[in-house]
Amino acid sequence: MRPSTESLAFDALSDGVRRQILAILSEHGECTVSEITERIDSVGRTTVSSHLRVLRTSGVVQERKVGRYRYVRLDADGSVREALDFLQRIMTQAAEELSASASTAEPRDPFEEKLAVG
Amino acid sequence: MTSATVTLSSEADVKLTPAEAFERFGRRDDAGWMFRARCHRVAPGYAVAIDLPGGCDAQVLGRLRAVMPGREIVIEHDQPWRGQLRIKFERTGAAQTRVRFRAQVPSEGIEWLARHRGASLPLPAPTGARRIGLLTSKSGSGAVYSMAAEYMARLAVEQVNASGGVGHRPVELLIADDSTDHLQARRETVRLIEAGCQAIFACVTSASFSAATAAAEPHDVLMVHPVINEGGMEAKKVIRFGERPEAQMAALSRIVERETGGNRWFLVGQQYSWSFGAHRAAAKILDASGSRVVAQRFTPLGTREFAPIIDSIRASGADVVMSSLVGADEVAFQQQAHEAGLRDLASRVSLVMDECTLEHVGPVAGNGIWTALNYFQSVTSPGNDELLRAYREHFGPWAPPLSSLSTNVYEAVRQYLELAALHPDAAPNHLAAHWRTRKSDQESVGQRNMATQRLYLARAEEDVIRVLDEVVA
Repeated sequence: MRPSTESLAFDALSDGVRRQILAILSEHGECTVSEITERIDSVGRTTVSSHLRVLRTSGVVQERKVGRYRYVRLDADGSVREALDFLQRIMTQAAEELSASASTAEPRDPFEEKLAVG
Repeated sequence: MTSATVTLSSEADVKLTPAEAFERFGRRDDAGWMFRARCHRVAPGYAVAIDLPGGCDAQVLGRLRAVMPGREIVIEHDQPWRGQLRIKFERTGAAQTRVRFRAQVPSEGIEWLARHRGASLPLPAPTGARRIGLLTSKSGSGAVYSMAAEYMARLAVEQVNASGGVGHRPVELLIADDSTDHLQARRETVRLIEAGCQAIFACVTSASFSAATAAAEPHDVLMVHPVINEGGMEAKKVIRFGERPEAQMAALSRIVERETGGNRWFLVGQQYSWSFGAHRAAAKILDASGSRVVAQRFTPLGTREFAPIIDSIRASGADVVMSSLVGADEVAFQQQAHEAGLRDLASRVSLVMDECTLEHVGPVAGNGIWTALNYFQSVTSPGNDELLRAYREHFGPWAPPLSSLSTNVYEAVRQYLELAALHPDAAPNHLAAHWRTRKSDQESVGQRNMATQRLYLARAEEDVIRVLDEVVA
């Protein structure tokens, strides 16, 4: 029986380089293959390409070609992409929340004990 | 940390010094950040709770692993998945800081999130192993008390597999999250059964367990509720162990009345079978001892705002407050009761004040709460040191504390698998019958006879639960 796309998607997460690719796409959105390769020190372009092929087959990423460039992005409909996107939004929101915090309330003594709230 | 981990990151440039940005972590006012992360102190080892935004009824629950003021905060968390969050502060100007966030999320975390957000994921392919399920609460109110249950179920299965499995077959544990919601418990039970689980161990509320047993009824599956409950619901394929409120209240009312002289009780609980049963038992015990219930309140599961109930307690003239609230609701109640100064008016008794819950209530708000459960980390019973050592060796120093709930799950899984090895072809109802009549005078923690009602009377003293006495009901 052919494994389902979802099952393949979670298998795709079993490799460290593939997880790194997903994290890059999650943080930076659509990237070219060269941009992905530049951000991964551990392996070369050929290995990155072969991992991208696994991710594409699993339905985790989508690819489009423009001239000489191949652009890769997380699959717009996959549950893995959706979960990663959600997590990335949370991370971005945490950063934005801190930026907003910088413009409110006076700082306190950094060593003051925090009150119990939950 | 599992090796299958995705690392996500983000960063912010803020007009604050590193010390100022750091100081705002854990603050309660508008300056607080990281979704109002809550902790009692920003220091290593302290419990931390962060509400996940975006409509998730889920909290990241864990501990501060490393804290370097103005430089770095590292959080190790266990709920809703096991992961790590690292926040680094880097000075980039006179009053300018770059704050980098880095989260390590295992594939189990991504799978949990996908499922939690409605994705219909496939069942795990058959492996030839004997499958059992753990229905636990990784989100919602129950996530607080069930933190170590999954780890202890895993430990039990690993130990059994290390000694050859059951009938020369390995055992595989599947985990399901009921989100502290009975409808989700029903759906997840069906999923575990479809995946081939022959027994399901439930570290969930009685409401969830009731829904789970209804879903399992037509199937050949043994349902086990090994954690504190109000009793009832037992059937041929349904077993319930754990502490019972009658025995808890009999032990607690005696000592509280003797030590404090209090005899006017206010009961606060939740609107479902556990609290209804617990309050009935409490009223009966108190009536027999000459004390009385001056009032009681029930609130929906998931309540976080207790001001109206605290006002009612004040107005009632009660001198003892008994809570049957569980999980995050109990955390919120005890903290708000403390902040409202209730401790000066009444003694506090909690039926489910395990180590995980106390850690989040905090050492100050929790101090002095009476409780009675069948296990505490501090018990001196044989086998406890070995069990604690095995747990820490497997899951590390930052894993949540053991509690009666997680220890009961461990004992139930171990005992079920031992019985399954002795009776490999027995149907669930026959295994249940063997279990009920199992003879054991084992006193070692991890192997105790679960049918015996044994309780430790205890009191929270800052960040530990001090055992005062042992009671056999």
